[in-house]
Amino acid sequence: MTTPETSHHDGTSDATPSGYEANRRPGEAGFAILMFFASVWLLWSAYGISGFESLSAPGSVPMATTFAMVVTAFLIAHRTLRNPRAIGETLSKDIVPLTVIKLVGLLVAYAILLQTLGFLPTSALFLISAIKILSRRSWGFTLVVSLGSLIVIWLIFRIVFTVLLPAGIVPEAEIIQAFRNFVGGRG
Amino acid sequence: METLSAFLTIFTHPELLLLVGVGTFAGIYVGAIPGLSVTMAVSILISFTFSWEVYPAISLMIGIYMGGVYGGSRTAILLNIPGAPSAIATALDGYPMAKRGEAGTAIGVTTVMSFIGGFIGIGVLALAAPLVADFALTFQPRDYMLLAVLGILLVGSLSTGSLAKGIFAGALGIAIGAVGRDPLTFTERFTFDLQIMEGGISFIAVMIGMFGVSEALLQLQHVNSTAVRQKISRIVPSLATVRKHLPLSLQTSTIGVIIGALPGTGGDIAALMAYDHAKRVTKNPEVPFGDGAMEGLVAPETANNASVGGAFIPMMTLGIPGDAVTAIMIGALFIHGLNPGPMLMIDQPDMFWFIVGALVMANVFMLIFGLTGIRIFTKIVEMPRSVLIPLIMLLSIVGAYAVNNSINDVYWMLGFGVFGYFMRHYGYPLGPVILGVILSRLLDDNWRRAIISERDDLGRFFEGIFASPLSLVLFVAVLLIFVSQTPVWHWGKLHLFKKH
Repeated sequence: MTTPETSHHDGTSDATPSGYEANRRPGEAGFAILMFFASVWLLWSAYGISGFESLSAPGSVPMATTFAMVVTAFLIAHRTLRNPRAIGETLSKDIVPLTVIKLVGLLVAYAILLQTLGFLPTSALFLISAIKILSRRSWGFTLVVSLGSLIVIWLIFRIVFTVLLPAGIVPEAEIIQAFRNFVGGRG
Repeated sequence: METLSAFLTIFTHPELLLLVGVGTFAGIYVGAIPGLSVTMAVSILISFTFSWEVYPAISLMIGIYMGGVYGGSRTAILLNIPGAPSAIATALDGYPMAKRGEAGTAIGVTTVMSFIGGFIGIGVLALAAPLVADFALTFQPRDYMLLAVLGILLVGSLSTGSLAKGIFAGALGIAIGAVGRDPLTFTERFTFDLQIMEGGISFIAVMIGMFGVSEALLQLQHVNSTAVRQKISRIVPSLATVRKHLPLSLQTSTIGVIIGALPGTGGDIAALMAYDHAKRVTKNPEVPFGDGAMEGLVAPETANNASVGGAFIPMMTLGIPGDAVTAIMIGALFIHGLNPGPMLMIDQPDMFWFIVGALVMANVFMLIFGLTGIRIFTKIVEMPRSVLIPLIMLLSIVGAYAVNNSINDVYWMLGFGVFGYFMRHYGYPLGPVILGVILSRLLDDNWRRAIISERDDLGRFFEGIFASPLSLVLFVAVLLIFVSQTPVWHWGKLHLFKKH
């Protein structure tokens, strides 16, 4: 019997999240313990909202939900720690490979630069770097694909969806006005 | 007469018709391209269409939803990669058919069966929703609270092997939804004295992070995988083929509608259950299941499209989403100032009938686009992931920023994206988080209303549950889900149903 490619059993589907029932993936124990302590901290914070004042107090649902988080996080951590390690997997190869770290770094840099530089230059830098890192193709291919798709995205979202994006160092309003004048035959 | 006029709105406004068509077309590709998902597309789309009028925005989203549920089957058949979770079962027999050189037949049958299933789902929605809404008027606040808990638990228990992880995810979602000032007392909750937390966390940032960025990050591990081309044969199936499988498709459509209508369960579960049903009722398939049985295609494809209509029933009548996509659709309606639930059905029935009309058109467009353009399609889905992933990330950032023009939303989105990435890797389902965020307010409000009406007395609250048949059924259902995941259940099954 043919089964679907494994790429869809790695968490890319809501129906079949990744993770193994009987094995512990690299970093899973740390994540489970972190979730437990984070849940305890949130429960403490929920207690601080209104304590045990009354069942209808603003803190009652937050306390109930964070209590559920503490209990389940404890059960998950307990089970995870008891499970044997998954064979053949490493943290750097299967969970946080270098490509993922690089792309997350690029995303953070994008968010930081977005308001200062503006949408167009930041997006161009992001797309060029990301596509170059991932495709390892020539600079010509990278530049054409990156800038071509950026122009299409900008036209769709700025013109069709009229989404306001940070202009930054690019005189976007003037460009749009010039474009409108040109299209309207008044340029 | 007003009902008919609202239903026909979509047919009489070319621009809305065009948007449904564009949405369905885009949905088929979004659903088909591995790495893009309907939940991702609809959550990103909300942020771009929130300034639109409600009808055009909903038209586009319904098209994407309907097309996306179907679109996943294309890559399941051609590449053995289900483009969407609802197409996982389709790959089991679709891909072996394609390998035998029957890819065209498989796509044709899938399309026609999805169309039939889609129509049955919409028909049931049109007939059942007004009745459910009338019934829902008798619901007490505690019933809404129990329904919300049931929905989150169902998603949690069905989408993963571990109920604990499902409950954790759902509770986390409710906690995220509670961040900010309490709307009733203005008390700060989980704000940690930070001003940026007072307004709460944008649910769109959470959605885009969890379904957009985290999925894109996961896809990085398959950036170099290459597609296998299949030969496309005749696409439009013969009438005899359709007629032969009609009885099975009617049965599995019914399964699809029912599963879709249950709060918290969607097309993916409907398709797997329908596949299982087909295996049990088909005594002598021409080809064994798993080796390319036509029945193995018919069952999941009718069921997952029938579940779309089903999922709209709890969404429109109770304000409780049927699955992750309808949770996002509820978010979209919130943004447009609409509050799904029985009162929406009574106060603005035109909105409901407009949605039914839009679903009908989306289904028709799905049939048209499904039976055409296969060759161009195979080219587009071969788009390299090294280009696709950065584009998804870019759209996610722009989408998160666009709603409030706030860079903080982008940081939230990135944070939830990375968090969602680890959750996926370690088997925590994301569906309950989104359901929790969306249902947090409903659950909180109704719990407090229910307990205030019982004078803060838990004993009286439980008396109320036992005095009302509906509350009791919901309460027992919640309990059953809990017990079914514990060793007590297995012990009980072993001892009570043991054959002597």
